[in-house]
Amino acid sequence: MNYVIGEMRRASTFLASTLRYRTIKRLTNGGPDSAGETIFALSSGQGKCGVAVIRVSGPASALALRALTGSRQSFPTPRKAFLRNIIHPHSEEMLDRGLVLWFPGPRSFTGEDSAELHIHGGPAVINGVLEALGSLPSLRPAEAGEFTRRAFHAGKLDLTEVEGLGDLIHAETEAQRRQALRQMAGDLGRLYHDWSQRLTRCLAHVEAFIDFSEDELIEDGVLNQVDESLSQLVGEIEGHLSDERKGERLRSGVQVVIAGATNAGKSSLLNLLCQRPAAIVSPVAGTTRDVVETCVDIGGFPILLSDTAGLRDTQDTVEIEGVRRARERVQQADLALVVVDSSQLPRDPRHVAASLGGQLAEVLSGQASQRCLLVLNKSDLLSEEQSRGIQSALRESGDLPQACLLSCHTDSGVNGFLSVLKNAVQILCGDPLVGGPSLTQARHRAHLLECVRSLAQYRQYRDLDLALAAEGVRLALIGLGRITGRVGAEEILDIIFRDFCIGK
Amino acid sequence: MLARRLLIRPHSLPFSHSRASSGLTRHKYDVIVVGGGHAGTEAAAAAARVGAETLLITQKIQTIGALSCNPSLGGVGKGQLVREVDALDGLMGRAGDWAGVHFSMLNHSKGPAVWGPRAQLDRRRYREFIQSELLSSPRLTVVEGSVEKMLVSEPHPDKPGKHRVTGVRMAGMEEAILCSSVVLTTGTFLSGSLFMGQTTSPGGRMGDPPSCAGLSHTLREVLGLTVGRLRTGTPPRIVKETVDLSLATVQPPDKRPTPFSYINTRTHCPPEEQLPCYLTHTTPGVERVVRESLHLNCHIQEDAKGPRYCPSIESRVMRFPGRRHQVWLEPEGLTSDLLYPQGLSMTMPPDVQLRLLREIPALARAEMRTPGYGVQYDFVCPTQLFPSLQLKNTQGLFLAGQINGTTGYEEAAAQGLWAGVNAGRLAASLPLLSLSRTESYIGVLIDDLVSRGVTEPYRMFTSRAEFRTSLRPDNADLRLTPKGFEEAGCVSAERYGEALRVREGLKGGLAALQSVCMSSTRWREMLALTCISETKSATMSAEDILKYKDISFEMLASAIPEVFSPYLEFAHRLKIEVLYYSHCERQKREMGRIQEEESLLLPQDLDYLSLPASLSQEVREILDRVRPDTLGAAARLPGMTPAAIVHLLNYVTKAPRRGRNADRGSTDSATKQTWSKGMRGNAQQTNIVSLQ
Repeated sequence: MNYVIGEMRRASTFLASTLRYRTIKRLTNGGPDSAGETIFALSSGQGKCGVAVIRVSGPASALALRALTGSRQSFPTPRKAFLRNIIHPHSEEMLDRGLVLWFPGPRSFTGEDSAELHIHGGPAVINGVLEALGSLPSLRPAEAGEFTRRAFHAGKLDLTEVEGLGDLIHAETEAQRRQALRQMAGDLGRLYHDWSQRLTRCLAHVEAFIDFSEDELIEDGVLNQVDESLSQLVGEIEGHLSDERKGERLRSGVQVVIAGATNAGKSSLLNLLCQRPAAIVSPVAGTTRDVVETCVDIGGFPILLSDTAGLRDTQDTVEIEGVRRARERVQQADLALVVVDSSQLPRDPRHVAASLGGQLAEVLSGQASQRCLLVLNKSDLLSEEQSRGIQSALRESGDLPQACLLSCHTDSGVNGFLSVLKNAVQILCGDPLVGGPSLTQARHRAHLLECVRSLAQYRQYRDLDLALAAEGVRLALIGLGRITGRVGAEEILDIIFRDFCIGK
Repeated sequence: MLARRLLIRPHSLPFSHSRASSGLTRHKYDVIVVGGGHAGTEAAAAAARVGAETLLITQKIQTIGALSCNPSLGGVGKGQLVREVDALDGLMGRAGDWAGVHFSMLNHSKGPAVWGPRAQLDRRRYREFIQSELLSSPRLTVVEGSVEKMLVSEPHPDKPGKHRVTGVRMAGMEEAILCSSVVLTTGTFLSGSLFMGQTTSPGGRMGDPPSCAGLSHTLREVLGLTVGRLRTGTPPRIVKETVDLSLATVQPPDKRPTPFSYINTRTHCPPEEQLPCYLTHTTPGVERVVRESLHLNCHIQEDAKGPRYCPSIESRVMRFPGRRHQVWLEPEGLTSDLLYPQGLSMTMPPDVQLRLLREIPALARAEMRTPGYGVQYDFVCPTQLFPSLQLKNTQGLFLAGQINGTTGYEEAAAQGLWAGVNAGRLAASLPLLSLSRTESYIGVLIDDLVSRGVTEPYRMFTSRAEFRTSLRPDNADLRLTPKGFEEAGCVSAERYGEALRVREGLKGGLAALQSVCMSSTRWREMLALTCISETKSATMSAEDILKYKDISFEMLASAIPEVFSPYLEFAHRLKIEVLYYSHCERQKREMGRIQEEESLLLPQDLDYLSLPASLSQEVREILDRVRPDTLGAAARLPGMTPAAIVHLLNYVTKAPRRGRNADRGSTDSATKQTWSKGMRGNAQQTNIVSLQ
């Protein structure tokens, strides 16, 4: 097989490289990860920028490029830039439109087949494309410095270049390390570390059973305990992976729903946010009877904004359906903007909070956990005294969600509301840290998935071949170790000798 | 072939002394090996095999090949080492097959990658086999005596190192014996002290005179090596007839003993004559005696590091109080009247030892032949070695065995063999070789030693080998024998031919398995199988079928004899190959990466502390302390960062360039390049044997 790869690597036409992929697949029994070792990473700097470059390197690069540009578009000629739609290989949803370049090995940075995608620099686009690449079999996120190492091994780098790149990677990893530290200090860090410790202990116990159970008193129950701990662990990691929708939010947009009573100004708010008359606005209550959707960009994050029918009891069958859909949409949304006509609030500031609480409960159908913002519209209709009263009522009430007093009509208070909305969306999309926080998460996700997949190998081989089963736990720990730090053979032995009396 | 060997050997064993008595045959040898333990014997034999005129100096020819501690060989992890030593044509595996009196395959239920071939040995037979092999080896001379001094001179200017070894001076001899390389395998004799109760005496083993005082001096003062101190111990030996074996559980040997050596198909001792082991346990009384006698036990109070996995009964009951601990009563040989109580290593005064033994019901009336004792000894911190086991600062001086901080016969033999190969190659001006951790447990062992050092006696465990499922006890011959012949030159042509035949056979068998494809329905009918699920309708190859737990190659061969019967000889190994094949394929890439990094040598004179590269102080200190030999070793160090690796990458290749530009000529860099070429070539050819 090595011979075949070597031979094919020298070939430099597109035809040869696609052929090669097939050859590898066949030779390695077609296992999804057996062709392995094609890596990708964001190669341009972190943070928001105009254009971002994502680099892919390894034998499956051609496949990756093909998968992300679709079979209908022609495959790029080597070393020339082509404008292509970048699509998600599974959902076929369009992620971006950008330049793609194809560098068949050996004439590439790494000496391997490589591809570059020059895409728009927003975090949503970048993460969408990284996630799409990660969803392909045999692709994985690159470790720090890995491109350089490959390039070096292929004899591609001038020594001064290595020196410079070393500094660059150093800076990057320093930043990553600091960022990781910040993240690791939080709940997430505690969670990952807890998993890592439990997994290490499981592996130590399996290893103890392999290396010592023939001679030592290692209780028979050891493996059963491991089975139990591992299945619990898998459950927790899977739960975490499915809970954590932030990456998907970034790709498909945060679902924000505008809801509230009729004629509170929901459609005006929609039009204000998308800066065009997307919805019909009229003083007649019940103008909007179906869900109106539109995409907007708030602070670099994609938002799928839906305007819904005003909630009221009605006899109109069409409107009844509209209200039903509105309620459904509120339940599914990541964030609800509950719009209230502030001019209809009680004059007495002491009753404002109770009134808002009631309206909120009505809109959210009692779903207390729903994230929401209160939008108190029509501030232009309030007297100064009234708006002061409302604002102090809002300040004093502890249990209301964040609220903004604004006027869609005069735009007063809109800037404040936009920044509140942006913060809320940012939290929904990922860690509020600067410097591509969700990129880290895409990496985490890949490693956690790898961990879960590897643990399946333990279950598969548990009773057939303990060496292969242990291999699964070991691979899982390596996967998790890419997030929390490596666990070496010595640490495993430490646990073995701590937990068991090994005396032979 | 085995039968022939076994028939010849018994008659050849008594020859022993004819050559030994002839004494020194010359004043200059290629290789001098000091010490006749497991490391020394393998080193001497290996050096002679690679063609070096070799001299083995030992205190007593009688104790060559002695099993100083437990009478057993192999086990989980250690068994792999025995197989690898055998695959490189070492002595240990064949000696084990000759001397074994109780064979068992440990971990039989846990997957072939972690099977552990083990045997209880007859001490006398083991010793006799080793002595007879050595004394009949061409190019090998054995003399009794002790080495008083090592002769050291200026180094070759064109090779790394501060000194060069030129020979040794033996006690009571006027003239020095000159040589190109020396392999030191002095075991626990380097500043060794024996402990029993409150008495200590100098020595490395009870019953043998202390030695190596002069060597200790050379190593510390002349060569300036860093040494550390470790301790170990051995249990009392018990008179078998005073033991009530009816109170212990009998552990019979395997019904079909598995030999260690690839060239043996059966063991010397027939299955029906093999001896059982016995299992018994400690009692609360044992713990009480230990506690009451702690003040009489100075070995335990000393703070030298003892092993965590072979602790004395004292440390076991102190660390895990209130537990029942296992005690194995092992035979010492077919004719021996002694039992070896594995797990009862102790260092208290002899009368207390006897009291302790008698707290165990089966030993209630036991008599001791010799008491247990502890040993403390110096070891040379192994990070001062190259992966060839040559000292970094002394050209021509190799260390192997306990002197490097390991414990165990198998670990010692493995290092001895490799040090012997390289000592012989150095004498012949051939490039030195290293074994990769991706291809062998020996490689794992040596890499761990030289790149991480030791803090306690190092023992092999399968969990240390990251490519455990590829480095199996069944395939050590495929992994190492061809390389041992083609590159190292330590394997006989006969054994090489056999390994090639096996490799071709397995290749053919695997191809045959892949060539037969049928629908699962056909397979079900043909083999009367119930294990293949009904729903599976796809085509399956015979390889897929053989992966099933209950299917054997023999079953396939009887179903389709025209295809499979030619490979029946390899039935057992094919089954294992098929099980691991896809996993090993997957590991190859990772192995390739490690091998690439291992092929990049780091110059030994690199000043990490002032290297003009952006390395953190922490990384600099780690590198300066450990001084890894290769980029691979550096990458595995705890605390290394990817950026640091990139900078090192830079230096790896820059070094020869700087050398070329330097004023003092090109010799320095030329050597480095030769070295690096030798090592690199080595690493590139170090591919795990593939059947594809």
